[in-house]
Amino acid sequence: MAQIELESVTKEFPDGTTAVSSLDLAVGDGELLVLVGPSGCGKTTALRMVAGLEDVTSGTISIDGRPVNDVEPRHRDIAMVFQSYALYPHLSVYDNMAFSLKYRRAAKAEIRQRVAEAARILELEPYLQRKPRQLSGGQRQRVAMGRAIVRQPRAFLMDEPLSNLDAKLRVQMRAEIAQLQRSLGTTTIYVTHDQTEAMTLGTRVAVISGGVLQQVAAPQELYRRPANLFVAGFIGSPPMNLIDARLERGGAAGDDAGPVVVFGPHRLAIPPEVVAAHPAFERYLGEAIVLGIRPEHLHDAAIAGGPVIKLPVRLREELGSEVQVHGAIGTAAHVSADAADDLRSLATIVARMDPRTKIAEGETAEIAVDTAELQFFDPASGDSILA
Amino acid sequence: MAAIRQSGRNSRLNKKMAIWALFTLMVIIAVVMLYPFWYIIDNAFRSAGQFDRQAGHSLIGWKELFANLPVAAQLLNSTLVCAASIAIILIVSTTAGFAFAKLRYRGSGMVFLLVVSALMVPLQSIIFPEIVNLGNVHLTSSYAGAVLVYAALGTPFATFLMATYYRGISDELIEAAVIDGLGYERTFLQIAIPLSLPAIATVTVLQFIQIWDDLLVALFFLPTNQRTITAGLATLATGRTTSIPPLMAGSLISAIPAIVVYLIFQRHLVKGLTLGMGK
Ligand SMILES: Nc1ncnc2c1ncn2[C@@H]1O[C@H](COP(=O)(O)OP(=O)(O)O)[C@@H](O)[C@H]1O
Ligand SMILES: [Mg+2]
Repeated sequence: MAQIELESVTKEFPDGTTAVSSLDLAVGDGELLVLVGPSGCGKTTALRMVAGLEDVTSGTISIDGRPVNDVEPRHRDIAMVFQSYALYPHLSVYDNMAFSLKYRRAAKAEIRQRVAEAARILELEPYLQRKPRQLSGGQRQRVAMGRAIVRQPRAFLMDEPLSNLDAKLRVQMRAEIAQLQRSLGTTTIYVTHDQTEAMTLGTRVAVISGGVLQQVAAPQELYRRPANLFVAGFIGSPPMNLIDARLERGGAAGDDAGPVVVFGPHRLAIPPEVVAAHPAFERYLGEAIVLGIRPEHLHDAAIAGGPVIKLPVRLREELGSEVQVHGAIGTAAHVSADAADDLRSLATIVARMDPRTKIAEGETAEIAVDTAELQFFDPASGDSILA
Repeated sequence: MAAIRQSGRNSRLNKKMAIWALFTLMVIIAVVMLYPFWYIIDNAFRSAGQFDRQAGHSLIGWKELFANLPVAAQLLNSTLVCAASIAIILIVSTTAGFAFAKLRYRGSGMVFLLVVSALMVPLQSIIFPEIVNLGNVHLTSSYAGAVLVYAALGTPFATFLMATYYRGISDELIEAAVIDGLGYERTFLQIAIPLSLPAIATVTVLQFIQIWDDLLVALFFLPTNQRTITAGLATLATGRTTSIPPLMAGSLISAIPAIVVYLIFQRHLVKGLTLGMGK
């Protein structure tokens, strides 16, 4: 087992693309760290640098405290599961799994025993003599896993290992990988673009975008306290509602009235305990901010209590366990600078409501807001004000 | 409904007719291709007189062939020259092809272009300088000269073919082996070579046929006592009068190895070994 550490690791390709910039990451012994981000954000490149398949432009990668920048892949003692599985097509399932052991000069009996053990765990026993082309996608995925675990390496690197499977199999294999990793206790870096996969698998999740690390935290922490707008919008489905708003001093009543967040015709008072916990609010009074509201923190006022805003309902979607209500907010939704213009006009927010709600399309609904759960971001830097 | 059934019957009929047309065409092609072969077999078993009359068969042609040519020795020469040339071509083209396809190094594209451009140089334009050069280093008195020339002529295309084939093997497969602990040399031997057997078979068959049948290089670069069978047969036809039956008999013997080589390798030629590599 091993600890893996990346210290301001940067990768610039010869064509000038900076795929990873100044990445700091520490993976603890036996930990499953998930690296998640949209396609093209540099996840694979980061993983390949840890494996030794790609040179590091600058920075240091260490395994167990020893820098490995100049260590050949085969001497790093790390196993990698590729997105395409990369099974050896001319070898049987057994030989695919035994392959690396043979070249590490393991004893014959030991090889047989380890492959048998892996085949038992992965339920591959009936297929040991088959060639990869005679297997289904899910079985090939298992062989790829088996090839990694028979080596008993210091760490596993997995690059979107489930992305080629259909949705149902993916959920099943996801659970199996989590279980397997826990029982083996092998340090693992798991790469995915799927935030659901990241949230369900990782003990910690590292979110990257454009080659830059955005936040590393436990799944709940990422969800409840996103460090910036990117994480807020990326984690969660449907995504967090982000609205351009202002912070103002509340009412005409007196100096001690707490801040309110104002967007379009709506005003919401921020609970005093939230303000007390985050003195940074003071600095944003009278300033533009980005307000974030998770869909599940908007309720039907007839069912749940709390400060109320009134929204015309554009759409009601029945999902069985919940109802999603799309309401017009009468002001601009926050969109990042590079988003298309037509998104700006879609000034709606999504609420995930109790299925008993009677709110219907076309009416103006009274929606109760969980103001204690509101998120606030600096529109210039994108960073959370609550940090 | 009836119309649909009707059109279904029509399309089935059309399909049947198409198959028959194709079959007829194939038969015609087969006849055209096989007739010369039949002609050779038929006339190998005649004497000169029987050939003139195109009637009767005998073994006189064969006796004449063995009396005039050291057939066994020349077959051996052909085999040795072919084997040595193809061995060199395969060693160079697989390693070079793999390097061009899978290793990233400075100037790799430029060197590849150079190799490919060598494909466009016709042998006839360089054969005399070659004779002089190889003569100067005393390589025209043994197999070595011809073997080197054949290897030099065959390697560019073989390298091109191997590089193209290796490009089709996914990088991740090579990297998986590297991570599994092999290093590039053993990855080449354990993964690339077994996967490229179809390409290797293709190169072997093409080069074998080319070198076995070659006359020009064999006549110029081999000493008379080490001639290949193809060169030997050519000398049979250089007298004032040429006797056809022994030439036919010799051609028959000389064609057999090519057929054997083809039969050995043909099952690899079409086999898609890379199936099931990924998803
Ligand atoms: N060999 C390469 N040469 C140049 N650019 C590359 C190379 N490999 C990847 N990239 C670029 O680096 C960025 C990150 O790629 P990658 O790590 O594959 O992203 P991800 O795995 O997160 O989808 C992309 O913009 C990609 O185009
Ligand atoms: Mg990737």
